[in-house]
Amino acid sequence: MVGLSVGEKRFIQGGIAQDLRSDGRKRLTYRPIYVETGVIPQANGSARVKMGATDVIACVKAELGRPSPLQPDKGKVAIFVDCSPTAEPTFEGRGAEELSAELSVALQRCLLGGRSGAGAGIDLSSLVITEGKVCWDLYIDGLVVSSDGNLLDALGAAIMAALSNTGIPRVLVAASASPDEEPEVDISDEEYLQFDTSGVPVIVTLTKVGRHYIVDATSEEESQMSSAVSISINRQGHICGLTKRGGAGLDPSIIVDMISVAKHVSEQLMNKLDSEISAAEADEDEL
Amino acid sequence: MLQSKVFSKRTRGGKVQKTVREVYLRDDLPCGAPFCKVCDTSKARLSPSASSPILIVDTNVVLSQIDLLENPAMDNVVVLSVVRDEVKNRNIAVFKRIETLCYNSTRNFFVFYNTLHKDTFVHDVSGESPNDRNDRAIRVATQWYQNHLGGQTRVLLITNDRENKRKATEEGISAETIESYVKSLGQPNLLDLLVKPVSEDVEMEDADALRPSKRKVLYAEHKPMSEITSGLRCKIYHQGKLRVNRYNPFEAYVGSESIGDEIIIYGRTNMNRAFDGDVVAVELLPQDQWREEKFLSIADEGEEEEEEDVHLAPNSADDALRNTNPPNSADDKNSVPCRPAGCVIGIIKRNWHSYSGSLEPLPMPAASGSIAHALFVPKDRKISKIRIQTRQLENLLDQIIVVAVDSWDRQSRYPSGHYVRKIGEIGDRNVENQAVLMENDICDEPFSRQILNCLPPLPWSVSAEDLANPIRMDLRHLLVFSVDPPGCKDIDDALHCTTLPNGNFEVGVHIADVTNFVHPGTPLDDEASQRGTSVYLVERRIDMLPKPLTEDICSLRADVERLAFSVIWEMTPQAEIISTRYTKSIIKSCAALSYVEAQARMDDSRLVDPLTTDLRDMNTLAKIMRQRRIERGALTLASAEVKFQIDTETHDPLDIGMYQIREANQMVEEFMLAANVSVAEKILKHFPLCSLLRRHPTPTKEMLEPLLRTAAAIGLNLDVTSSKALADSLDRAVGDDPYFNKLIRILATRCMTQAVYFCSGDLSPPEFHHYGLASPLYTHFTSPIRRYADVIVHRLLAASLEINKLPQIFQDRTQLTSIAENLNYRHRNAQMASRASVELHTLIYFRKRPTDEEARIVKIRSNGFIVFVPKYGIEGPVYLTPRGEKGDGEWFVDEQQQQVKKMDGSVSYSVLQSVKIHMEVVEPQPNRPKLELSLI
Amino acid sequence: MEFVNPEGLRLDGRRAMEMRQLRAQIGAVSKADGSAVFEMGNTKVIAAVYGPREVQNRSQQMSDQALVRCEYSMANFSTGDRMRKPKGDRRSTELSLVIRQTMEACILTHLMPHSQIDIFVQVLQADGGTRSACINAATLALADAGIPMRDLVTSCSAGYLNNTSLLDLNYVEDSAGGPDVTVGILPTLDKVTLLQMDAKLPMDIFENVMQLAIEGCKAVANYIREVLQENTKQLEVRRGV
Repeated sequence: MVGLSVGEKRFIQGGIAQDLRSDGRKRLTYRPIYVETGVIPQANGSARVKMGATDVIACVKAELGRPSPLQPDKGKVAIFVDCSPTAEPTFEGRGAEELSAELSVALQRCLLGGRSGAGAGIDLSSLVITEGKVCWDLYIDGLVVSSDGNLLDALGAAIMAALSNTGIPRVLVAASASPDEEPEVDISDEEYLQFDTSGVPVIVTLTKVGRHYIVDATSEEESQMSSAVSISINRQGHICGLTKRGGAGLDPSIIVDMISVAKHVSEQLMNKLDSEISAAEADEDEL
Repeated sequence: MLQSKVFSKRTRGGKVQKTVREVYLRDDLPCGAPFCKVCDTSKARLSPSASSPILIVDTNVVLSQIDLLENPAMDNVVVLSVVRDEVKNRNIAVFKRIETLCYNSTRNFFVFYNTLHKDTFVHDVSGESPNDRNDRAIRVATQWYQNHLGGQTRVLLITNDRENKRKATEEGISAETIESYVKSLGQPNLLDLLVKPVSEDVEMEDADALRPSKRKVLYAEHKPMSEITSGLRCKIYHQGKLRVNRYNPFEAYVGSESIGDEIIIYGRTNMNRAFDGDVVAVELLPQDQWREEKFLSIADEGEEEEEEDVHLAPNSADDALRNTNPPNSADDKNSVPCRPAGCVIGIIKRNWHSYSGSLEPLPMPAASGSIAHALFVPKDRKISKIRIQTRQLENLLDQIIVVAVDSWDRQSRYPSGHYVRKIGEIGDRNVENQAVLMENDICDEPFSRQILNCLPPLPWSVSAEDLANPIRMDLRHLLVFSVDPPGCKDIDDALHCTTLPNGNFEVGVHIADVTNFVHPGTPLDDEASQRGTSVYLVERRIDMLPKPLTEDICSLRADVERLAFSVIWEMTPQAEIISTRYTKSIIKSCAALSYVEAQARMDDSRLVDPLTTDLRDMNTLAKIMRQRRIERGALTLASAEVKFQIDTETHDPLDIGMYQIREANQMVEEFMLAANVSVAEKILKHFPLCSLLRRHPTPTKEMLEPLLRTAAAIGLNLDVTSSKALADSLDRAVGDDPYFNKLIRILATRCMTQAVYFCSGDLSPPEFHHYGLASPLYTHFTSPIRRYADVIVHRLLAASLEINKLPQIFQDRTQLTSIAENLNYRHRNAQMASRASVELHTLIYFRKRPTDEEARIVKIRSNGFIVFVPKYGIEGPVYLTPRGEKGDGEWFVDEQQQQVKKMDGSVSYSVLQSVKIHMEVVEPQPNRPKLELSLI
Repeated sequence: MEFVNPEGLRLDGRRAMEMRQLRAQIGAVSKADGSAVFEMGNTKVIAAVYGPREVQNRSQQMSDQALVRCEYSMANFSTGDRMRKPKGDRRSTELSLVIRQTMEACILTHLMPHSQIDIFVQVLQADGGTRSACINAATLALADAGIPMRDLVTSCSAGYLNNTSLLDLNYVEDSAGGPDVTVGILPTLDKVTLLQMDAKLPMDIFENVMQLAIEGCKAVANYIREVLQENTKQLEVRRGV
């Protein structure tokens, strides 16, 4: 937890009001973003994203599973977030459970759409191998290694980078003799299919401090927030999910305003991430 | 501390789990050429002369042409690690052979670890199959060799993969097929060793032209592996090891766990190119096809009949694997339900190796030097004839040769193979023996220098240190003696018996202390462990341990001091064991008696010397012990063991007869059993998980079926519910005929399987049971000179007495299990070899002595019966109808009464009936003598 | 299974006495007082140190020395099989304890009474030898945090397969079921502070394997010293000294 003196609080709030934040940024400026992919070679895809002192790792593992009977034509994706005590001593033991759960749910909401799977940022039907029988289950694990605010956006970015880094083994399904039996699945050793990330949204969190809202808040700034809205927006500029946090009420018109700002910011963020991801992938190939 | 220089990662998609393995590439791996100026040449193994080319072999060449590679003409070969690994995965037997070659100091074979070398490591390229990648790795390595040795010598890639060869040539690598390379060597005989490529690969037209009939498809296609696995899963197909009936190569059994019974496979078509020992997938036939062929032999699609040979009477169910008809043979509809029959639809794992045998005589031998096609007839009747090509036919016709199987396509009746080497002339006893040894995987090579170096120097005698050793008890004052067959030189057991002041007896069994000389981990121990047992042929013995040990240092001969491992009991006069002691000891045997001598001493009432008194005391005790054992339910089984008298000069058999068992034999046997049981208890108590024990499985009802059927036919009621019940009913089975009881016992014996060694950790105590001896525990302790199991047990016993540490290997249960399996395998092979040797000598004996003899019918067939000749311990068919005809209803079988009757009822033969037969050696084909039995 | 081929090479190309590639980076977690990433081949561990600072739970405060605490955790994705284990399973608890005791033994705790030092180790990837990697990472993180220590603690494991003593087992070798000896030493003081083994091994072989592991520890120590010196140089440069 951040312990701040009255003076410090004033300084932060005042800076935001004047569009000059304590680290020198404007309200809608991000801290430097740094992306590294393939950090966990054992996973099907992985990425590490740093935004200032916030440092997160996202990891994708694919396992063969069975589609849910309600949605036989869709694969399954599960998102879990874990906060390592390295990030914050209070995360020790079960200290991070609440935060982890909050982040997991928020990410699921932003990336996976509704319960029906409609509107999901990740194309679930591309994960089906044999309808109703075999599909890929993607397990996306986020790990917060160092936390200095804006964890949700960083995790969203890391998941996007990890997904673009993900290769799923090519699967050959033998024609099964009868429809009841389990189909024979053969995994190809050397062929990997690149996962399509064109539909994966970015998450932009606008944190309201005083009368203004800022992007990419540090933990000091977050301690001063009244409420925050996280909006996930895809490449087409469509909103895929939205979460409001914080107790204070917001005027609906402000929300609409925030969304349009978020949409604008998301384009910049998306471009920034794209270039970072491709740079990271190029780096990885060189190794 | 070294750090890896280059670092690279390779990913492999496991099942679904992605696994990542690091590979540390090296720059310190030598190329193996002694003239290389760059690499460390201290381990170089390639030919020192740069004039002969360096051959780099592709995986397919190693896998298919291993016989050729073993020929010294092939040399200067580099085996790449990528090839080595692939061979290891594909065929472990070939892998072992290539490994032997690579570490044989007389050959210039070198393993180059291309997969770990920084310049020859290949990265995965997406879209490339593992096969293509390996091929590429081989080419990269060849290229590297070419550049590395910089034209100092020629580097040649030998591959039979057309695509690989083409790519190699494109990349500027000189590549040749194995055929063209061998041809370039100019040694035509080498070409015989070449495995012919499978038809789709390289040109084979010349061969086809000679066999126009080949186009006809004879066999059903084998199903692809994926279909087999899915079929196995949904239980349409059944998997199991195919075992061919020893007496009828067209009948086989597949033990299937999925249906809990054995599936019978009748006929060549149903067997569908499966070999004995192959793991196959079987589909069941419709039930109405379950009953078939009842003839002594099965004529298959009009081809020449296979005949049944005269052979040694089997001693156990393992020797005579269900050589009877299935119980449902007769036409009566309400007989016992049939055993399921099936056909092979795919082969999961081949059990092909090389076989010894001879070529079938040809009507018209081909001209010398040109290619001739010949049919090879393996000695092992379970194996199909094999088609081979040879350029030296005339040299091979009267030889026993070794042939390996290569392929079997759907159009050929017989599999194709290639000539490997010749053993020698047919009929030559040494050659035939050699073939027997080879067939049973028995090594009779002299012990290597390394092994002999492990022996203590000769002449050996008990040293002062041995005497001073506190673990060793000095028992030289005892009156110890041994009783063995006459002429026995490897005496591993001796006995003593003294009366104690309290009226009890002290009885000791002293076993040669072999482990005092054979230490774990030494080459001597490794070799003994491999050999597993000594092998006794009629005129020769193949030792497990070198002669100085078996016949001198360890042998408990008379009047010399020897080291022993002793089990000493205190027994009451009623033969109750009061206490048991185990100790290492020093003994001095006072007499090495033969059974006959011991018996004569006991019987001669005039003799009252201490030795004879001891013998008599022991005999009294042994009789009580024996009685008690029989009461517990131990079976007194009988087997027809024969003994030859061999001419000392010609080594020809002079006489054969049944081995006579005397009281003295039984006496020694009784104490050995008791010692084994005592030791088994002791070691199991100390090492419940890693003791080596011996068990005898209770025979299943089905196994006893032939015995019951025979017994029922003659009105004898046998109770087989327990070994005790069986023993009792066997005792009751006495007829007017003095030989009757023995005959029934012989029949009972051959229904049982053999006892086997096992590791106590692998089974639960109720399974430890020894059925035949009716003992809950048993092991082998008393013959360490000739059985390795006893050596292991000695070590266990010594460790339980805290004399030695338990060797490391006992901590590794899988290894212990594999040792037990090897011992069972060796044991079984040794017996097979002994039997084959006896059969061979029987044949030699009767060659000059056509004989009339009394025989007993043991089995009924529709065109004859099988007789057992007690005097010679042999068994064979007697035909009632001329061969070649199927009897055409002239005779019929009465299953109930086990009789074969003439249609008009005038003549009938029933089981166990005594008949007079004539035995004579005939030679229906040149060089192929066989013993024929005919009814007088 | 052949873990050492006749040429003396292991499955991954190393020889028996060779260690996997070591990599270390100081200051991976910017908010912590000290932190480091330590890699041994594919095993990758992050350690973060917070403190010395006020004792959070007053009842644990000690008037004569600092309180050292440690928590070990494994990321869900750290193993080949994705695992979802609850925090604080037995293995983690045991490892936390081992690391804490090992580190405590070399921290000069008496210089920092009434204070608390937290060591958090997070396994990102496990490929054998996590125990050693955690200790090495923790040493670096403590050094980065400027916490006074008697000596560095370094650790390395060694095993025995195919009748050969092998240094620094990777996951495949470790799961072969042979003995695995983990040793931690204070390299300058030349003392063994950690010794664990999980299988039967004859005495003479054990000595040999342990000696090999100690050699490994020394090599790790040399590497860690280099990393620290390099780090110090960079700090000097940044401060413009």
